[in-house]
Amino acid sequence: MLLNLYFRQHTMDSTTLFENYPVAPGTWDEMVHDGKVRAPYQGVYDFLRQVPFDELNKKEDLAKRLFMSQGITFTVYSSGEGIEKIFPFDIIPRIVTAQEWDFIERGIKQRLKALNLFLKDVYHDQFIIKDGIVPVELIYSCPHYLREMKGVNVPYDIYVHVAGIDLIRDQDGTFYILEDNLRTPSGVSYMIENREITKRIFPDLIPQNNVRPVTQYPNILHKNLVSLSPRPVSNPTVVLLTPGMYNAAYFEHTTLARLMGVELVEGRDLVVDNQKVFMKTTVGLQQVDVIYRRVDDHFLDPLVFNPESALGISGILSVYRKGNVAIVNAIGNGVADDKAIYVYVPEMIRYYLNEEPLLKNVPTYQLGKPDEQKHVLENIHKMVVKKTNESGGYGMLMGPAASDSEIADYKNEILRDPRQFIAQPVISLSSAPCYINGKVQPRRLDLRPFALCGPYGIEIVPGGLTRVALREGSLVVNSSQGGGSKDTWVLSV
Amino acid sequence: MLSRVADSLYWMSRYLERTDGILRMLKINYASSQDDGHDFTWRPVLKIFSFLEDSEIAKLEKNGQAVLQYMVVDKDNPNSVLNMVTKSRENARSVQDHITKELWQCLNEFYHVVRNEKLIRALRTEDPIGVLDGLIRHGLLYCGTAEITMSRGEGMCFMSIGKYLERAIQSADILDVKFSDLSYDLEKTTDTTYWKYFLLSISGYELYLKNYRSGFEARNILDQIIFNINFPRSVQYSVNLVNQYFEQLKSERNLESFEKINFMIGKLRSRIRFSNVQMISEEGLHTYLKKTHEELYAIGHLLNQHYFAYS
Repeated sequence: MLLNLYFRQHTMDSTTLFENYPVAPGTWDEMVHDGKVRAPYQGVYDFLRQVPFDELNKKEDLAKRLFMSQGITFTVYSSGEGIEKIFPFDIIPRIVTAQEWDFIERGIKQRLKALNLFLKDVYHDQFIIKDGIVPVELIYSCPHYLREMKGVNVPYDIYVHVAGIDLIRDQDGTFYILEDNLRTPSGVSYMIENREITKRIFPDLIPQNNVRPVTQYPNILHKNLVSLSPRPVSNPTVVLLTPGMYNAAYFEHTTLARLMGVELVEGRDLVVDNQKVFMKTTVGLQQVDVIYRRVDDHFLDPLVFNPESALGISGILSVYRKGNVAIVNAIGNGVADDKAIYVYVPEMIRYYLNEEPLLKNVPTYQLGKPDEQKHVLENIHKMVVKKTNESGGYGMLMGPAASDSEIADYKNEILRDPRQFIAQPVISLSSAPCYINGKVQPRRLDLRPFALCGPYGIEIVPGGLTRVALREGSLVVNSSQGGGSKDTWVLSV
Repeated sequence: MLSRVADSLYWMSRYLERTDGILRMLKINYASSQDDGHDFTWRPVLKIFSFLEDSEIAKLEKNGQAVLQYMVVDKDNPNSVLNMVTKSRENARSVQDHITKELWQCLNEFYHVVRNEKLIRALRTEDPIGVLDGLIRHGLLYCGTAEITMSRGEGMCFMSIGKYLERAIQSADILDVKFSDLSYDLEKTTDTTYWKYFLLSISGYELYLKNYRSGFEARNILDQIIFNINFPRSVQYSVNLVNQYFEQLKSERNLESFEKINFMIGKLRSRIRFSNVQMISEEGLHTYLKKTHEELYAIGHLLNQHYFAYS
């Protein structure tokens, strides 16, 4: 009897692949609505159902092998030995319709415009503080507000050249901004590479579905970087500064450097002399004009910030202040993507642009405010509490899943320094089909499109990084917490 | 080009050249060990390609399986194929934007192969020659991919200099160890299989048969491995190529450094060019090889000092 059942399960053909697709109640599913497949997913749905059953496992294997052999991996070091890991990849693409994308694009552009103006303001005249929109304590208590940047003019007044904006959808499908990443957002190489993998494992499927391309990203970024050169030369030296190959995002750094055709440098390759930055080459020193850095502010210049840093370049801040080198993103952006400042972004949009925000914030309580703190502590079982200065899913409390003792410990931590915490009601992220252990199952996901701001305006490549919580029932998509990724399709019609 | 990048390309290539040398040496010696059971020893191989003390070599020299494991997959042997390929790949990883994607993938695959647990088992339970051949082929794939896809710029020069410098050093060292067995006596006659396997291990057997009609003589072997410019592993050939690639690096911007190294290479080339087996036997083979070895190392040091210094 048991054997029989086992046998039947394993000889299923894929027309039954989508049976037993349990969408959680009160959840927006990207593919299924009222038991029917949404029109944009129909192509993929039909395609998957006609693929012979074993083929999908083979495709999953092929994807893994491609990631491994191309070195799209990060290295985890344990007991002196490096182990190559793949960022888990789900083979079923996530689809964003043309209308959805149009709205997202307008919303992100509006938001970035305001955030850029905010950064310029906060490091110059501080009108927004004087007009009482953002409280002064909040700015000065933010560890990422860098007084060293006060009064520094940056090229074209652009601070955020590269932004990764995290979006989620609630139960009725409304998009919300979850987080702004304005410092050194990563993940864009997965937008590019996931697409390349899909091309290999599902030949012809992309052209049949009118998917917009993403390969132009490095060219746009490169064009923007070149335009920032302080020297008026036709071929300025642009470099990508990486912390080095032990960094988890090293693969991304090499990919971008290769695709843009720029030099990938480490701190030890650069030197400051006479208020200019140079790189050490086989034929002597060569002046550097633009640095796309993937090193955090605090490690950038040991003379000014963390003196222990071996990743930075001594004296580089002073060169930057003089305008002899362009640094991307600008230094000090952390004040604008701080989770406590996040609450004020809708106000910023009204203040600087005189417009209503298109994309909404997730309702957010500041624990620094006594009445909001009271409300949160009373309803903590329904809340997500986060530290304002942490990212990557670290240091957060998922109210519904936490035990009483975890909550008690966390409460103590909150009371020690309430400014460091915000809370949001648990949003039931939207779900989409994933191929897991031979079955198609719904899993929760978010979306991080990448926006590029240059002198010619803001451009958003139609696509992004879709992160997915691969654990059943999980609402946390961060890779450190068992998250994976999907290819993200933005449709042209 | 960044000094760090030049350094990495140079070592990426050197390590793979060494890997190739080790693998060929292991393969032929393994074959030879199947031929003449009792007398066979792994001593020369271990002396050339490992850092082991004499006493440790004595423990291993009769145990082919242990030598293969040690030289191919041992993590604690800094010169094992596993570690060579790992180092080469780490260097490649840090300069991915300077090598072609194909070259990187080829090295990356090689790395995943030597790290795979299956390899340890295969060496033990399958035909070792087949396993070693498989690894050699990965090295060949690397050479071919570099040849076909890499642009002919500065990067290729540093890769080639690393490769041929390593090869020249290997050839000189191999001769030194092999002839020390004969107390550097060029007149001493020895078993023909001794020379046959030696020539096979450096892919020089066929060329030897075509060139030298009088059977295996120490003098002819020296002639081929030091002077024959048609033999791709000869010292002369390798040094000529080091010279050829180095000259392409000439630039007005660091003429002084260039001249210094160019002088060293030129000196070594002339010394080899204007000597012969007769002169070597008068000077003493060991002295001659030692001098060659030292001058090759000196070139490496100067490159390090003038082209790769960055930290």
